[in-house]
Amino acid sequence: MNWKSLLLALSMAAFPALADAPKLVIGAIYVGSVNDYGYNRSFHDALLQVKQNLPGVTLIEAENVPESPAAERILEGMIQQGAKLIFPTSFGHSDPARHVAKRHRDVAFEYAGDGDTEKNFGIYFGSTQAAWYPMGVAAGKMTRTNKLGFVLGMPIGYAVGNVNAFQMGAHSVNPKAQTIVVVTGGWSDKAKEAGATNALLDQGCDVVAMHVDSPATVIQTAEARGAMSIGFQSLEARALAPKGWLTGLGFTWAPFFTDIARSVIAGRFRSAAVYQGLGGMVAMAPFGPSVPPAVQKAVTASADSIAKGFNPFTGPLTDNTGKVQLPSGASMGADQMGTFNWYLQGVVGKVR
Amino acid sequence: MTTPLALGVLAGAILSGTSLLYATLGETLVERAGIVNLGLEGVLLIGASTGFAVAAGTGGAWRGLLAAALAGGLANVLFGWLVVTRRANQLASGLAMMFFGFGLSALVGAPYVGSVIVGLPKWRPGWLAALPWVESTTLFNYDLLTWLAIPVALLVWWVLFRTRWGLGVRSVGESPATAYAAGRNPGALQYQALAAGGVLGGLAGAHLSLSLTLTWSEYMTAGRGFIAIALVIFSKWNPLRALAGALLFGGAEALQLQLQARGSEVSPFLLEMSPYLLTLLVLLAWGGARRMAAPAGLGRTFYGSD
Repeated sequence: MNWKSLLLALSMAAFPALADAPKLVIGAIYVGSVNDYGYNRSFHDALLQVKQNLPGVTLIEAENVPESPAAERILEGMIQQGAKLIFPTSFGHSDPARHVAKRHRDVAFEYAGDGDTEKNFGIYFGSTQAAWYPMGVAAGKMTRTNKLGFVLGMPIGYAVGNVNAFQMGAHSVNPKAQTIVVVTGGWSDKAKEAGATNALLDQGCDVVAMHVDSPATVIQTAEARGAMSIGFQSLEARALAPKGWLTGLGFTWAPFFTDIARSVIAGRFRSAAVYQGLGGMVAMAPFGPSVPPAVQKAVTASADSIAKGFNPFTGPLTDNTGKVQLPSGASMGADQMGTFNWYLQGVVGKVR
Repeated sequence: MTTPLALGVLAGAILSGTSLLYATLGETLVERAGIVNLGLEGVLLIGASTGFAVAAGTGGAWRGLLAAALAGGLANVLFGWLVVTRRANQLASGLAMMFFGFGLSALVGAPYVGSVIVGLPKWRPGWLAALPWVESTTLFNYDLLTWLAIPVALLVWWVLFRTRWGLGVRSVGESPATAYAAGRNPGALQYQALAAGGVLGGLAGAHLSLSLTLTWSEYMTAGRGFIAIALVIFSKWNPLRALAGALLFGGAEALQLQLQARGSEVSPFLLEMSPYLLTLLVLLAWGGARRMAAPAGLGRTFYGSD
């Protein structure tokens, strides 16, 4: 062997740290910023946890990656840097990620959304709908005006399902509670979120929940006007409402991500469609200081029943125009959570 | 206790109309000097992100406000260099400035996304709070920019129509050659109008990030700059009518949200369109006399005497 490779071998032997290539390079793309106290942060926090769980993992992240073919370039760049496991985290990253996955069959992809799986393309998401039921229980018990506000980004099926479960939970402990929905038209229009929250509070709502990318603006607007809030997307959002925070839902992807990373390292990655609810990828945030122990007990009990398999989407369910959408005896499974195009009785709003 | 619809809409209109008003006033000044700044959206974003970055970085909302005003003024002066000194096409340069503003604001704001700031302080005089219904709403609980909205509109009107400087600006907008022949310096006047307009635009952006939403995110202005440009036309380049225009559009935006909150039977998608439809309708109905109201030299480049 020539003197160059001898020198390299000697130096690698002398400096074991240099010789250690990372066990796994993980790439992740986010549609927004990881500091959003919301959706994107939940993925970032989980991947940091994976790094802690598995020494030897390197993480490459790209924020503000548009949901367009431009994302392909960024993904290719990550693969060039040695990424063998890629997480496209936004719903709209599906097409660019799938194109890149076709070109690199040796790289594993895990996409946060739905659609078909490929040999190297798995899908997953947290099933949030049933988890909103205990949130409704908390809101229903804490409200004094019986009006609950819900700021919604876009009325897609999954989000409408969240609203319906929220109202169901509230109604189960407070038959007079109603949920008022205001749609902002986008997942991240901060000025409209502030306006929507103000409109809901003007209507007398004293608890505000939301399904937008970041709960920050809604929570801060509600807190400034003395209303209570229920968070979504990230468990860290409670820092924004020291007085009004009741509880919230957040995504806990870390255990699932760690399993996937382990399987890639061991060479036994198998793509699948994985949906987990409360107790898996979805977790409940700690209670705020204003929630009395009796309410905490009721909410925790409700959450436990969901985690044990109680399905709130069991008939008969009537929508807010009076039509029976789910007959008695029928129930909706996790795969139907994207099909909601009606609001439950007790919800004030129109889907389209 | 629910707020009556009219009060709810008024409250929302004032909150969201403040940044629209400042932006419209800034653009009015600039267009009165004969320059169309299509990059107003970029100026707003630069103001919003600079204000938020300085506030988050130094912990002072006032410093953020000052920084936003300066940044907006500088951005407009840069635009002025393009169209006045280099005599580039105003429409194309404006659009280029808009994209420049998108990128620069994203760059400046990126480290501060998610930062929590203490925004501009709000005041509500006791005697106003005691009025019926007011206490539980956002009415009269405003920061400095909103309280000064009407005085600033009056000031801009007074400067444009009652001072020698304003006369000079307007004459440059009507006919730079005539102003030049009369001894004015069209270039200097245009730069000054741009700087002042840019300061107002920066303040408009700052209101969004330092008071209304207390956050920064990319493209946060969501088209407000373009609405402001339309409002300049709607208000016939008069700062006082700009007050009405900003309230109208802000009110339309607030109305659609309030109607949703009241359970309107109208589709939320149609409601969302309504402020923009309203702007179109108003422009169609009242834009007719535009030919006589627009500064005659608007958009044209002055090549000087050489």
